[in-house]
Amino acid sequence: MIARRLRYELAGRAVGPLLAAVERRRGAGGKAARDGGPFGPPLESTRRLKELMGIYYYQGRWADGAVPVAWVTSGFPVEILRAHGFYCVYPENHAALCAARRLGPELCEVAEAAGYSRDLCAYARMDIGSVLSGDTPVGRIPKPDLVAACSNICQTVVYWFRALADHLGVPFILVDTPFVYGDFQPHSLAFVAEQLEELAQTAARIAGRAAREVDTQRVVELAWRASQEWGACLDMGRHRPSPWTAFDHFIHMAPIVALRGTEGCLGYYRQLNAELEDRVRDGIGGVVPERHRLLWDNIAIWYRLRDLSRLFADDGFAFVCATYSSAWAQSWEGFDPADRVGSTAAMLSGILLNRDLANRLALMEGLVRDFSVDGVVLHSDRSCKPYSVGQYDLKDALQRELGVRVVVLEADHADSRAYSAEQIETRARAFMESF
Amino acid sequence: MRPCPRPSLRSRRSQRFTSVGWWTSPVLSVSPAPLFRIGYTRSTMTRLDAIREHQARRGKVLAVLPIHYPKELLTALDILAVELWGPPGPPRGPDAGRIQSYVCAIVRNALAFISAGGIDAVDGLLFPHTCDSIQGLATVVPDFGAWPKPVFHYIHARGEERPSARRFVEAELRRVAGELAVFAGCSLDESRLSDAIRLHRDIDRLRVTLLDERPRLPLADAELYRLLRRGEYLWPADHLAELEAAAAGLAPAPVQRGLPVLVSGIVPEPMSVLDALADAGAFVAADDYAAVGRRVNRHHQAALDDPFAALVELSFAAPPCSTRQSNQIARADHLEALLESSGALGVLLHTVKFCEPELFDLPVLRRRLEARGVPVLQLESELEPELSGQALTRIEAFVEMLGAATARGAR
Repeated sequence: MIARRLRYELAGRAVGPLLAAVERRRGAGGKAARDGGPFGPPLESTRRLKELMGIYYYQGRWADGAVPVAWVTSGFPVEILRAHGFYCVYPENHAALCAARRLGPELCEVAEAAGYSRDLCAYARMDIGSVLSGDTPVGRIPKPDLVAACSNICQTVVYWFRALADHLGVPFILVDTPFVYGDFQPHSLAFVAEQLEELAQTAARIAGRAAREVDTQRVVELAWRASQEWGACLDMGRHRPSPWTAFDHFIHMAPIVALRGTEGCLGYYRQLNAELEDRVRDGIGGVVPERHRLLWDNIAIWYRLRDLSRLFADDGFAFVCATYSSAWAQSWEGFDPADRVGSTAAMLSGILLNRDLANRLALMEGLVRDFSVDGVVLHSDRSCKPYSVGQYDLKDALQRELGVRVVVLEADHADSRAYSAEQIETRARAFMESF
Repeated sequence: MRPCPRPSLRSRRSQRFTSVGWWTSPVLSVSPAPLFRIGYTRSTMTRLDAIREHQARRGKVLAVLPIHYPKELLTALDILAVELWGPPGPPRGPDAGRIQSYVCAIVRNALAFISAGGIDAVDGLLFPHTCDSIQGLATVVPDFGAWPKPVFHYIHARGEERPSARRFVEAELRRVAGELAVFAGCSLDESRLSDAIRLHRDIDRLRVTLLDERPRLPLADAELYRLLRRGEYLWPADHLAELEAAAAGLAPAPVQRGLPVLVSGIVPEPMSVLDALADAGAFVAADDYAAVGRRVNRHHQAALDDPFAALVELSFAAPPCSTRQSNQIARADHLEALLESSGALGVLLHTVKFCEPELFDLPVLRRRLEARGVPVLQLESELEPELSGQALTRIEAFVEMLGAATARGAR
């Protein structure tokens, strides 16, 4: 146990950073991530992002047996687990990484061969496929001591994570956040708050110790500050030109999803924020020249990020905001350290996908106004029904009430077999020509 | 507020023929040629008839989306529930296109039907929190103008039973009861709620009898399911009377001669799947459809001095269901218990396309059943009016396989 812990700490504090430094030196003279064209210069912070995420995954290889390990959903109150010393793995983040590396079909097919329908969420299929086959682009994912889901992003994660827990033979814990129609219901918030207490007890049992209050406060503080920094980064998109695009958000959101509550995460967003401020001051845009400003709705199409960003940027269309990336900033807006449990319950329940379409429309209208958006692209995502149902009505409402142009592109966030390049390009071009 | 009218918990159709349970009323017909060997007559009352009759008595009517909801509350408040399972068949209006084609037909058809005025006769809508898609529909309908009348939601506690979940369910039941009482225009008194729970307990008791004693019930599968599913819209006391009449016709010895099969899925649509099984030489010996068997509660142990506590008990004692996010292992255990009690030789897993809750359970269920050597047929449908030729062929082949396996076993 001590040797394992030592190896884990060494991986995270010494070997991981050393390997990252070697990689940085090796890549220092290499070509920039972007090939110029319609894009502004690449963000310097991207190198730090790669290091941060690289060390996180590298350290994870030695986590099991050294520290308690939990597999969690992106909307989970991970701060409670972190305060108990858990290393947390995000299967969604891992699936997005696999999809970006175009491993989607291969991993999905493993799950489909095991009986999981092609009509199920591709993240779930990829993740189950990865578990069944052992294939991962990150070397090794540590086996969990706990699988933990929060239903605030969808019900799918509950089925998916329970299937993982059953397969791996580890406990499963659910934080159930009743869906919010209209206003928050007091009994729903009380239910979530109670479950946070239950979660703390489960975490303490698995970790073999209760978290110290000072640790919990520290982790929550770090997560809160990081979400504020992330929100400030996103707000840079209000400037004209926007110093970065939603496609950049999709890359740079990895730490706020996977490392929330850590020093590294907060430090990273401070650095990114500073860089974005510099770009705003210098008038550097993410797309050059920026002719039109767009809002992206729904999860990214991970395996086509570069193609899509190029398709739009070539004609001067810049995605300056996205409902997806906003979620990790917007949800913390009502957090109150003086009422940590109560406001966390509200924060978890108030996530975009756990609220009705009237709330979503209001959020989108706010983004359109605040970011001076001219058009909206709604990604109708076969893999994400809670995000996609209602998009045609949202489209009509945005067009009617704000006069912006809106297009729906049907695809899948991770399974490239559901992507029709010709169809998407034709629709996107017709949309852009309408401006 | 006035108290709800008490007599409506009794059947409004009390005339019966004596020994064989025949009963009739102005809205029931006696078949010219008996459809069944027992003396039971099926209601010809349509959903619209039921709605109009209830409204004529000044009762309110709610259209209810699938699947699980506290029907006892509605009954106690003199509200008639008329369930909206699509309806099946092609969408009955253009608004199905407002929801993506990769969402299940129940949801798309429901939006089309609601938007086209199909349920204008009812007074409100209730959406149980069944799945992500119905959750979406529950906000599309009121938020985007498809429906100007009152909308209600009922949210389940997901996951395992635990004290926090029990407290939430009770609070949620009380919240819904309060909203529905305002809608009904009458106050809910707890003794009346206890009466309603007793009424539904009697219904469950009879449904258990009909399902468990299926081999002794001289009804075709399709007729049995029509009878059971009339509970989706008949006033509960009237439905109880029909069930009693059918149960009175149970034969002393098994009369079903086909091969026993367990069916599981969301909803038996198209209903011709039952005819196809019968034509191929099988009968439904056990049921795990979410629309039918998974709503039959076998554990009415709760005392009724606190009816809300009793409803909480019932909620957690219900058979495991994917749409309530029950544990998949518990669901597999439940299917195995049904197999053993019914003697079913094979399992038909009949899913609605794009139904995520059910699709996630299938790999676990298939693995468990196949490990026991139980033949499984997985059939997917989209509420189409009739089974495809391909589906018919698969059912025939499945039943033939069961027959061959049985013959080999007998030798």
